[in-house]
Amino acid sequence: MGLDYKLVLWNKHKKAYDKIIAFGMVMYLVLFIVLTLIFNPETIAETMIIRAFGSLAVIMLHIILAIGPLSRLNPQFLPILYNRRHLGVSMFLAALIHGVFAIIHFHTLGNVNPIYSVFTSNMDYGSLTNFPFQVLGFLALLILFFMASTSHDFFLKNLSPQVWKGLHMLVYIAYALILLHVFLGAFQQETSIFTIGIVVLGFIVITSLHLVAAFKESKVDGFKGEKDTGGWLKVCDMHEIPEDRAKIFTVGKKRVAIFKYDGKLSAIHNVCKHQGGPLGEGKIVDGCITCPWHGYQYLPHNGQSPPPFTEKVATYELRLDNDIIYINPIGLEEGTAVEPILC
Amino acid sequence: MEKKDEFYIGYADTVGQETKSSIRRFVLTALGLLIVGAVLFGSFQKEASNSTFDFDTPTKISGTYYEAPYPMLRVELTENTFKDILLLGFGKFGANAYLDNIKKSEVNINGKHLTIEGNLIYYNGKTLLQIDDSHKIDLDNSKKKNFILPQAMGTQEVVGEIVDPKCYFGVMKPGYGKIHRSCAALCISGGIPPVLVASEANAVSEYFLLTDLKGNPIHKDIIPYIGIPSKLKGEVEKMEDWYIMRIDVSEIEKLEKESSIY
Repeated sequence: MGLDYKLVLWNKHKKAYDKIIAFGMVMYLVLFIVLTLIFNPETIAETMIIRAFGSLAVIMLHIILAIGPLSRLNPQFLPILYNRRHLGVSMFLAALIHGVFAIIHFHTLGNVNPIYSVFTSNMDYGSLTNFPFQVLGFLALLILFFMASTSHDFFLKNLSPQVWKGLHMLVYIAYALILLHVFLGAFQQETSIFTIGIVVLGFIVITSLHLVAAFKESKVDGFKGEKDTGGWLKVCDMHEIPEDRAKIFTVGKKRVAIFKYDGKLSAIHNVCKHQGGPLGEGKIVDGCITCPWHGYQYLPHNGQSPPPFTEKVATYELRLDNDIIYINPIGLEEGTAVEPILC
Repeated sequence: MEKKDEFYIGYADTVGQETKSSIRRFVLTALGLLIVGAVLFGSFQKEASNSTFDFDTPTKISGTYYEAPYPMLRVELTENTFKDILLLGFGKFGANAYLDNIKKSEVNINGKHLTIEGNLIYYNGKTLLQIDDSHKIDLDNSKKKNFILPQAMGTQEVVGEIVDPKCYFGVMKPGYGKIHRSCAALCISGGIPPVLVASEANAVSEYFLLTDLKGNPIHKDIIPYIGIPSKLKGEVEKMEDWYIMRIDVSEIEKLEKESSIY
């Protein structure tokens, strides 16, 4: 959490994270270039650069897309999610080098503008096998540019978390465009069962991880509690909630996290104001609900971030009846104090 | 013993042991994936040809200029042994713009002896010369030579792929196929002659310069057929070491198969 905006709020984890990213990228490029020079010694530098950075970006995108569902399935992967934007920006830089070199190589020094040429030098838009695949890569690069250039809390705050999240969900469109770019381009000409196989396997793994994570979350959304005569919803036995942790329930189409701490129970809206992280997967740390994604904190009894921070989430009233927790499904205004119930 | 409830906070220094071991597993898997990816993408590439582009070494070539219909320089290698060097411009342009100055000083430079300094491009017995400056062309005051008429080879049907010869014979690798198609389209629309590369061993030649039915240059009309396996039919003429095929562009037949011209 921070009150002002800095380019990067460095800490030792971020430094280690970035060193690993840099090491991985350099290792890939060196290995790719050495193997190319051994097995394809007649190649030219431009082709080698385009291929090295293009293939690196594709692999990095798969790693990035695996982080979200892996973190949902196992919170121990959350540290990887915490600095995912560094990996995203690094991947964009690799894709940018690929794209810029390809445009310079194939589209400059001609009789039309290079960007215009990307869209017009192959007009077989009606054919699948002859489709102008470079257009797909160009559009994907544009999406990645908008994502990378807004990968900062300044834009998150000013665009609003909903708009920002929507923009960053475009990564799935970019992924689809990149797969089509590769399959309708490079794989039409450089057909190897091994290279095609690894990309197909990557797609299967990414899709499966997302489906498994979605299935896990659908169990929460599928919760149907009984209502008592007052309209309060029966949710669970208080012993089902571990100390300093929460259980998440869907109440009136909204996810609510019920936390147990210091012999008390409090309920707040599950969605963090920062990036929409699942607060119910967080923990009470120093008396505050702490978001598992980026450590944003809220006081459990009123849903307010401790001063000087100003984020607020909705709170809910609870009732305990023979160890069974009941919740009033009508949420209160964001930041409304609710006396915790004792348990 | 009760399992420790680990919780990671990015801005806090402490990280639980199990979380550390999960991160280590993830990092090792990601690095392993990068190694496997580099091995596969690095090793399984189609081998590039040994074509050459002397982009940093200028060469002076002297010979008889003619256009049939594309600019060429006929160089005498030994007595009565000639080589036709196809002339090209800088970037994705033909040679004509670079020859305009000299054409202004002489009504018809066909058959005249020129010395041109440029960059050689060569592969598989064919040589091309890139001109990057019109001032590097000198017209000699030698006697005009008569153009030797090409030899008619009859109608031929050839399966292959239309390429731009500048990239195909050395500037780019690969200089053919779908990946290179948009570049070839720019080169040919910029004045570089289209060349058909035969994919069948029994064709009369591996390479054909393409013209229209009247023997005039074709550029923009042929762009939809570049970089696609195709079947072409036309009258073929043999020059010194190039073949010319006169075609009707509308009769080019696109073939639904993988390119196999290398």
